[in-house]
Amino acid sequence: MEMQMLHIFRNTPLGRETLLESAYFCKHLDILPVVYVPGYVKFLMYFENDVVQVDLDGSYLRSPETARDHVVEIVESMGLPAPKFLEPKHFTASTLPDIPVDYDFMCCPRSITDMSSKIGLGYIGPRVRRIVQNARFPVYIPSAVFKPWQSLAVMFGGSANAVKALKLGIRLSRISGFPLDVFTQEGRRTRQDYEDIIEQEGLRDPMDKNVREWRIFETRSFAENLYEIPHDALIVLGAYGHGLIKELFFGSTMETLQSVSPNSMLIVGPNYRASI
Amino acid sequence: MRYNRDNASPGERNTGKRTLIRPSDWKIRLNPSRWVWFRMDDRLLLIAFGAVVGVCSGLAAVALSHGLVFLMENLSVFRDYWWAFVLPGIGMAASSLFLEKVVREGAGHGVPEVVYSVSRHGGLLRLRSAFSRLISNCLTIGAGGSAGPEAPVIISGASIGSNISRLFSLNERQRVTLVGCGSAGALSAIFNAPVAGMVFTIEIIMGEWSAANVVPIAVASVAGAQVTRLLQTHQISFTHLRFDVDVISTLAAVGLAVLTALISVLFARSLRYSHHISEKITLPVWVRALIGGCMVGAIGLLLPGVLGEGYHSIQQMVEGAFVPGLALMLLLVGAKIAATALTLGWGGSGGIFAPALVIGSFTGLMYHRFIDMLWPGLSWVNEGCYALLGMAGLISGTMHAPLTGIFLIVDITGRYETILPLILVSALSTTICHVFEPASFYLRDLVEKGQYLKPRTDAKVLADLSISELVEKDCKTVPRNMLLGDFIKVVQESHRNYFPVVDEQTGEFQGMIHLDDIRAYLFDSLMYETVFMEQIMQTDVETVDVHEELSEVLDRMDTNGLFSMPVVSRNWFVGMVSKATLLDKYRHELMVQTMH
Repeated sequence: MEMQMLHIFRNTPLGRETLLESAYFCKHLDILPVVYVPGYVKFLMYFENDVVQVDLDGSYLRSPETARDHVVEIVESMGLPAPKFLEPKHFTASTLPDIPVDYDFMCCPRSITDMSSKIGLGYIGPRVRRIVQNARFPVYIPSAVFKPWQSLAVMFGGSANAVKALKLGIRLSRISGFPLDVFTQEGRRTRQDYEDIIEQEGLRDPMDKNVREWRIFETRSFAENLYEIPHDALIVLGAYGHGLIKELFFGSTMETLQSVSPNSMLIVGPNYRASI
Repeated sequence: MRYNRDNASPGERNTGKRTLIRPSDWKIRLNPSRWVWFRMDDRLLLIAFGAVVGVCSGLAAVALSHGLVFLMENLSVFRDYWWAFVLPGIGMAASSLFLEKVVREGAGHGVPEVVYSVSRHGGLLRLRSAFSRLISNCLTIGAGGSAGPEAPVIISGASIGSNISRLFSLNERQRVTLVGCGSAGALSAIFNAPVAGMVFTIEIIMGEWSAANVVPIAVASVAGAQVTRLLQTHQISFTHLRFDVDVISTLAAVGLAVLTALISVLFARSLRYSHHISEKITLPVWVRALIGGCMVGAIGLLLPGVLGEGYHSIQQMVEGAFVPGLALMLLLVGAKIAATALTLGWGGSGGIFAPALVIGSFTGLMYHRFIDMLWPGLSWVNEGCYALLGMAGLISGTMHAPLTGIFLIVDITGRYETILPLILVSALSTTICHVFEPASFYLRDLVEKGQYLKPRTDAKVLADLSISELVEKDCKTVPRNMLLGDFIKVVQESHRNYFPVVDEQTGEFQGMIHLDDIRAYLFDSLMYETVFMEQIMQTDVETVDVHEELSEVLDRMDTNGLFSMPVVSRNWFVGMVSKATLLDKYRHELMVQTMH
């Protein structure tokens, strides 16, 4: 069955950039874009074990009369057929629609929450985090300005989510034909540990066939080493399930990555079921 | 693959083979759902959690009660001023702003949301709902709005149950039970009525009686009531009066049942009508709430008894100490309905439980005085008894919950003398209301939008299945320019009766061929090389979208007499969905849902 990607459209220049990002992603991975043009500033996403309320800012409701035309225009400009528009069927309250969660991907702009002061780099809204934690689909976080990516870069740290990210990276590389690089920051684990994990997960052959380069950083900090990631790569990584306290004191890998790198990211959460 | 190790040290670290423990493994081990304690008997687990949820819900109810007392006492000094009519407006505007701007709740009065959540989403509720309605309700009622504290405390308790189950990774069935526990504990605490809390939850929230649910809900109800008895300062505490109900009074209750049913219908429709009018006004929500509140305040200047939740009036009526005459009672019924409709329809926060009790007691008292006026020679039971019967009639009629009506009155009076007329009024009122209003006030909107799924019904089972689970992908597609002769070879190798036809260039779905369509040509070999698929295929084919709801698909199959339909997405054939597969999955899902 064909894959579908949910995109929440904002009828502004910033929204145009993120839709261009989504359309580019869909084009190269043969995915059908499903676009939701919000009619209300809130919506709910009911996951298996959590319900996430997304609060949008007022700009998401701007110029509704031109929104659909703009969506069609942007998506078609990318060489894709007209997208499917999502019309919510169910409402928890009259102004609170429920958005389905059975998509294959979802585009979550960094600014999907209403923290407009933190739209730029360095912040992933709490809603996006909860979506990542609960979703069965990977979450695509586009860069602020559309920039076609030409390769895939998987951040592999050995965790279960990182393994899923690696599997996803391999699959996307196969579908899109873009080269795949893997980056590992050596910490408490050694290279042999990572190799063992790859072996245990049965990823040895796929790695050999699909990965162009596996870079293991042994010195310098993670933030410094991020400079080595190509500027035009789509970064695929697993979400870290830090607790609140640990995150407050030490930050998260996702946060560090986003605050340093402007690349688009594809984040795999703990509920994503990866296959190659 | 090329390895690149930045600054690799000359001596490779020799770690050897060892078992790796990844952070995620630790997380799994630390997950509460893996603890031994959590794998004990499911019923014991739910009872233990039910008690915890009941206590928490009870505390929420006590907090709301204290908040209400505090606000009402502090605002009472302003009630005698001419401008006091703005107080409910200010309270409702503040309540509306709090819900919309501070907690961004964006939802209704509480109970329908809980029912919807149980019905559609396995009892998932937002954490913010655990406190948001308590505060907004406090502002609304404390300032004089005509509403009840029950719906807010029910959603609060339900949300506590839902989030506790989420915290401990309980499954969907357990979560629904804990939502019920929260609701029961909260209602039982706010009314100090454990049986009514339990019955209301099972009748309205859960929609079904099942052994697995009843026990934890009962425990939560007891826990909630116990908390309120320990900490409560503001609860309905009626003097336990003794009523000697004779046959004549019991028979006369039939008339009261008819009256309460009609007033229930009027009440429910007024609430909806008021809401529809306010929705048409293009002003910010808080401004609407301010206007509505000022109108309530204006009514309250003339008839102060309609303001607030009205427990004091109920107490007076039940004890036979309510002085106003028949005409004023009629006016009070109308005024209370109008005040409640304006409060809840124009942006205030609260429930209809307490207003229904007040209107019901006014109605009962009014009816008693009326029959006493008609037949003064007969010895009627004390008018307080009819006030109680009126309350049961209104609750049963408005909510279509006769058992809740009966047990609430038994609970708050603590006696059974009134049980016969109570059953009569509750049952008749529900039945008569059902003629005019097919669904209860709580469920009507959900039913109209097709969002209410009663447990263990077709709709519920079908809603839990999706097209993507049922798609049969082992279908052989044939190109539109295929010859009949070639098609017959395809048929020989296939076990299916339907064959989708696609465009050989674009791959787009063009139509379907059923074996019946080729029957006429089968025995004429001349046709084998002359007939193409596009000539005999059916082009006017009913198709299914992947995201379509199964109940709709089944309806279309029944309407068109079909046994299977092609699933098409963006003009691409995805697979077939058939009644046979649907039945198979349906049975499996039904077994899962009815296992407990």
